[in-house]
Amino acid sequence: MALYNFTKSNELFQRATKVVPSGISGNKNPAFAVPGSFPYYAERGEGCRYWDVDGNEYIDYLAGYGPIVLGYNDPVVDAAAEAQRKLGAAFNHPTPRAVELAEKLVTMIPLIDWCAFGKNGSDVTAYAVQTAREHTQRRKILKVKGEYHGSQSWSRSGLGGLIDSDFEHVHDFPWNDASAAEDLFRKHDGDVAGIIIAPYHHPAFANQDMPKPGFLADLRRICDKYEAVLILDDVRAGFRLDLRGSHEYFDFKPDLTCYCKAMANGYAISACCGTNLFKPAASRVFFTGTYYTSAVEQAASIACLDELAKTDAVGHMMKMGTMLQKGMKERAEANGLEVTISGPPTLPFMTFANETNFRRSQRFSGEAARRGVLLHPHHNWFIMRAHQPKDIKKTLEVADECFAIVKKEFGG
Amino acid sequence: MLTPLLTRAGLHTPPTVRDRVRAGMHLHAVLGALPHLVRLDEEAAGIARQMGKVNLEFRVFDGPKVILAFEDGRIGLRRDGPSCVGLFFPSCSALNQMFDGGKVTPIPFKNFVGHLKALQLLPKLTDRLTHYLKPPAGALDDLAYRAKHIELSLLVGLAATQDLVEYDPKVLRVARELHDATMEYEVPGGPVAHVRIAHGRIEAGAGHLQDPSTTITIKDLDVALGLLLGTVDTFAANGSGDIRASGNLHIADEFNNLFDRVGLYLK
Ligand SMILES: Cc1ncc(COP(=O)(O)O)c(C=O)c1O
Repeated sequence: MALYNFTKSNELFQRATKVVPSGISGNKNPAFAVPGSFPYYAERGEGCRYWDVDGNEYIDYLAGYGPIVLGYNDPVVDAAAEAQRKLGAAFNHPTPRAVELAEKLVTMIPLIDWCAFGKNGSDVTAYAVQTAREHTQRRKILKVKGEYHGSQSWSRSGLGGLIDSDFEHVHDFPWNDASAAEDLFRKHDGDVAGIIIAPYHHPAFANQDMPKPGFLADLRRICDKYEAVLILDDVRAGFRLDLRGSHEYFDFKPDLTCYCKAMANGYAISACCGTNLFKPAASRVFFTGTYYTSAVEQAASIACLDELAKTDAVGHMMKMGTMLQKGMKERAEANGLEVTISGPPTLPFMTFANETNFRRSQRFSGEAARRGVLLHPHHNWFIMRAHQPKDIKKTLEVADECFAIVKKEFGG
Repeated sequence: MLTPLLTRAGLHTPPTVRDRVRAGMHLHAVLGALPHLVRLDEEAAGIARQMGKVNLEFRVFDGPKVILAFEDGRIGLRRDGPSCVGLFFPSCSALNQMFDGGKVTPIPFKNFVGHLKALQLLPKLTDRLTHYLKPPAGALDDLAYRAKHIELSLLVGLAATQDLVEYDPKVLRVARELHDATMEYEVPGGPVAHVRIAHGRIEAGAGHLQDPSTTITIKDLDVALGLLLGTVDTFAANGSGDIRASGNLHIADEFNNLFDRVGLYLK
């Protein structure tokens, strides 16, 4: 088989660097994956596959960094979106879809009583943080070191454009270390508004880390003790572990929850949800955007959530993910390599056990991409409902070849 | 000890952050390139040899200091330790003015009479460094010169990050969280430089490392020069393969956040 090349991707990227800062900003920049062995621009998608601008076809395990939960171009979701588009996309007012979607989420997620919609995950994590500050009239937010909560300055990714105050009131503690979190409560006595956490630790460039028994319950207890707000950032994992929210999967009770990626199968929408206690504070925070009420995405989300429920998509994705995780481990071992598989089956990740500098991962992912399977070397993977056993089988065949290349080059 | 008293008495204004960072970079990174200069340039090595064995201290009031240890034409760089002769600058901004090309006369101290020759030769040596860091017209056409210019400039830039870690308020906040790592910058067949990051401190050096956490490979001297001059877009170069980053890119990203800031202080 002829290996892929990325001529058009590269040409486009060179054009982009002249007219767009950094060419492609953020985590979609080529530098985050394997430049030269990864596509930079996509053309179209179908099911669990997409095609890049060079016409290369991939079985995809990145799913647009998460939103594609059913599969590309899902006919049911697209039909619902199209029906709404014909009526109109954006108005002076919300449409009935806004209420219908809020009612749907409140029914689906037993914990919550209300929700507010944004477009991206960052919109709603920032809103949740502001709501916690408003509710408690305190300043400090605690977060887990290395966890990503979005691109807004409060969550301080990188250094560019940040100012001192962005660092002053957000403090880190290590994942799975509730006593470190409590130390911060003592240190900033009476000034901690809340803790924001992901349901499990899913940093880039590291193995995924599940909560230790009792950790999430401890955070709940600490927040109760200090009357602070526990925010669950379920932007990434939401609806891929449990349709009632990932807190049900891990059995704990946050106060505010944030969703985005799997809400609408690729249509731009996010939600911050909460219990009644926090509704007054949430109402006092000025939360809006030109497109926050646009209806096409809301219609898509209603259809997507229905589809997820109707087809037991999570159950199916768990099976496919387990098959992939197990298969990867077996194939690696058969090639004399040791890998660490981490993360839940629907958001798996793989690293090579005897390295920290990702050179084997980059080689593996680059070779896989050039053979039509997209597995990110540094970021967790995503399973979609569209993945079927035959796709996993094909993926494992390609993985086999790539493991052999890694073995040959690195020796173990 | 004295400085806070003077400050309180209104007799001394502490340096601005910018002056403090720049002064540190000038001593630690720019003068820090002298040991590499004598390795790369015969003429500079000759001057250093003539300077004999001397520990020459640069000291800035309420600022950084550095000791250059000359011996047999080689130069060592220390942040502390004994010295036999020194040059004193009354403030960070005075030191910076001198590095910016202004006329500033430092005050010699310790046994300057015994080391007059070394003090007289020092400007010749720093002129040699300037010759490589600020290319005269046409000099870059010469391939050998170009390689040295690139290597020395890169080493200055990398070494300058340490003063950011200590004094730039924004970097201070993230310094504690820097991962221990090693990073290598390589132009195949040309200059190789590296940094070691350990316990929030950064040390720059020349040459290869064993199994670095991250490697940045720059295709050739033209690309490297373009990067230094700002005529090559880093992102475009990354996409096209003119620069290849491999290894732990998270570390590369972390470090580049610092490296990018050097340009705010040093031209
Ligand atoms: C856990 C988590 N929170 C927040 C965000 C930010 O979401 P967005 O990129 O949609 O703003 C992300 C995005 O990857 C995420 O994974």
